[in-house]
Amino acid sequence: MSERNITYLSDACLITCILQTGLAEEVLEAAKNIGAQGATINYARGTGIRERMGLLGVTVDEQKEVIRIIVSEDQADMVFEAMYLAGKLDTPGKGIMYVTKLEQVATYIPDSVLKKLA
Amino acid sequence: MRYSDYLNKIVVKHSTISYNLLTPTVKDGDLASLKPKKIEINASQAFKLLFPYCYTRILEQVKSVAPLVAYLMLFQILVLRQPIESALTLSGGIIAVIIGLTIFMEGLNKGLMPFGTIIGDNLPKKATMFVVLVIIGILGVGVTFAEPAIGALQAFGSSVDVKAAPYLYEILNNWTLPLVLMVGAGVGFAAIIGTIRFVKGWSLKPMIYLALVPVVILTGYAWLDPNLRSILGLAWDCGAVTTGPVTVPLVLSLGIGIANAAGKGNSSLSGFGVVTMASLFPILAVLILAIIVSFSVTPEEIITAAAAASEIAKPIPSIWEKTPLVEIILGVRAILPLVLFLLFVLFVILRSSLPNRMITIYGLTLSIIGMCIFNIGLTYGLGAIGTQTGSILPAAFMELPISKFSPIFPELVGLIIVIGFAFLMGFGATLAEPALNALGLTVQKLTEGAFKKSMLMYSVAGGVAVGIALGISKLIIGFDLATVLLPLYAIGIILTIFSSEEFVNVAWDSAGVTTGPVTVPLVLAMGLGLGNAVSAVEGFGILSLASICPIVAVLTMGLIIQIINKSHKSQFEDEEESK
Repeated sequence: MSERNITYLSDACLITCILQTGLAEEVLEAAKNIGAQGATINYARGTGIRERMGLLGVTVDEQKEVIRIIVSEDQADMVFEAMYLAGKLDTPGKGIMYVTKLEQVATYIPDSVLKKLA
Repeated sequence: MRYSDYLNKIVVKHSTISYNLLTPTVKDGDLASLKPKKIEINASQAFKLLFPYCYTRILEQVKSVAPLVAYLMLFQILVLRQPIESALTLSGGIIAVIIGLTIFMEGLNKGLMPFGTIIGDNLPKKATMFVVLVIIGILGVGVTFAEPAIGALQAFGSSVDVKAAPYLYEILNNWTLPLVLMVGAGVGFAAIIGTIRFVKGWSLKPMIYLALVPVVILTGYAWLDPNLRSILGLAWDCGAVTTGPVTVPLVLSLGIGIANAAGKGNSSLSGFGVVTMASLFPILAVLILAIIVSFSVTPEEIITAAAAASEIAKPIPSIWEKTPLVEIILGVRAILPLVLFLLFVLFVILRSSLPNRMITIYGLTLSIIGMCIFNIGLTYGLGAIGTQTGSILPAAFMELPISKFSPIFPELVGLIIVIGFAFLMGFGATLAEPALNALGLTVQKLTEGAFKKSMLMYSVAGGVAVGIALGISKLIIGFDLATVLLPLYAIGIILTIFSSEEFVNVAWDSAGVTTGPVTVPLVLAMGLGLGNAVSAVEGFGILSLASICPIVAVLTMGLIIQIINKSHKSQFEDEEESK
């Protein structure tokens, strides 16, 4: 049995994007097209803006989709921008997104890739 | 320079401002000034918000209405070579249907559904099981009135020939309120039984058997009485009419809430079964009503009364009986009782306040407005186009006074074309039904991929298509509804005995899912128009056939999958053994 080993990934960022339900597909597509490797999606309920908009609040869906994508620092701005534009976040009520720097990331990395970099 | 920096420079402009500048600060030591203020929205921002909101919702309804109507119109123009009559009113009506449904569905989601959830969550905590069941039963009646498709039943009643089917005429013209009440009572009873089933975790199979026994007995009784025989089509169709976009989600959300409160809501199947019950009990209820009517009046009395009524010159309809006021009254009458009852339960029994008051009121208002507009569209759009196509349809194979070209085709070819038309219509309309897509996904998850979504959708759509084609041929050839329905149900029962619980739940529910607010009026109107054109006794029965056929189709599919899975397994085991 081989010794087990963890390879940490550095320079990783997490992009989190909270959207009204139904908008996630387009945003995911845009992110993947520009190099994002994968994404985690979960559902959530949002609150705040809707209540303060009065009757126009009905136009904002209470149900949200949260997309989380881990990208490399170099990719981050590009993916972020593509997602922002695809989700049309420059219109009111669509959603919000942010990038956070990650301390430590580990997952399966194929041996061939490891050897190439070693 | 990094590649990403380079890209930043060419795609969009970036700028940064501090969030500190945007958040409120304490003024004069008054902490209340920290509370976020109401957001001011100018006209262009409001438009940006409203446009996608309206657009996606309208598009959804356009998708469910337009293909079906376009198919009907194209078939009439291209195959039957009959121009569309009063095309302008028709398109106005269709637009009213689309807008009405859009507004109604939005109102349903924003206004009525939250009620269902709150009451379902809180009622079992504050009331005894008995009170809960009574409330659910009354609610069943309320939702039936609010169902958009139920208006169609009342609207098309006058086209029945009194001499050929006196009791059918009597019920549709003079007993409409009791009819809807009975259907509602059936739904209410189904909701009660369904809820008890949720809580106790009963299996669906014995319930189907038990519910079908009285239905079959009464059907047999009505079938043996030549005067009552014509009522069967209506009775069996009522089952399909009730399970629409109001009943299913509202009753389900209540039932699931109660099952959760009882700690029995974890079964993945707990959502199923109510729809099945809600489509079987109304049949029973309508049959009982018909038998009551048959004891209280004789056919001769009805015929003389109808003749007398037609002789008296019709009084000029008062302003209240004209469009659009009559539709508005119908719409208000459909929704308001349900809303009042829900408010009563919320305020008096639960003693809680309205959640999110403004949005709920907005939703309730929308549902009433939407219902009124939909009713107008029902009369001038769906009903009119259905009747028109239905009455010209026989021109394909027989001579009709209204069509110059008739008979367009030799009799056999014409018949095949008409039945093929019905088949395709059923198939397309069912595939377009959004509820079916949702059911397909649920089923795929439940069966861990063994029953694929597309497989379910195609077997349901195929079943509906066969059902509608059968129904149309019933009208043309004039065979008896019971002689087809009962054997089909017998097959359904036999398949049910051999199927596993999951497939039984899915299959029996799939029938109710497919008959939405667009398909039902259209098919009903077409059936009645066609029935009149070929001078059939009555034009009902298509929907009931469109309900049982998908049940049989899905059950068969489920059994095939079971058998394939088993043989795969045994093959695998054989190979293991031979090693």
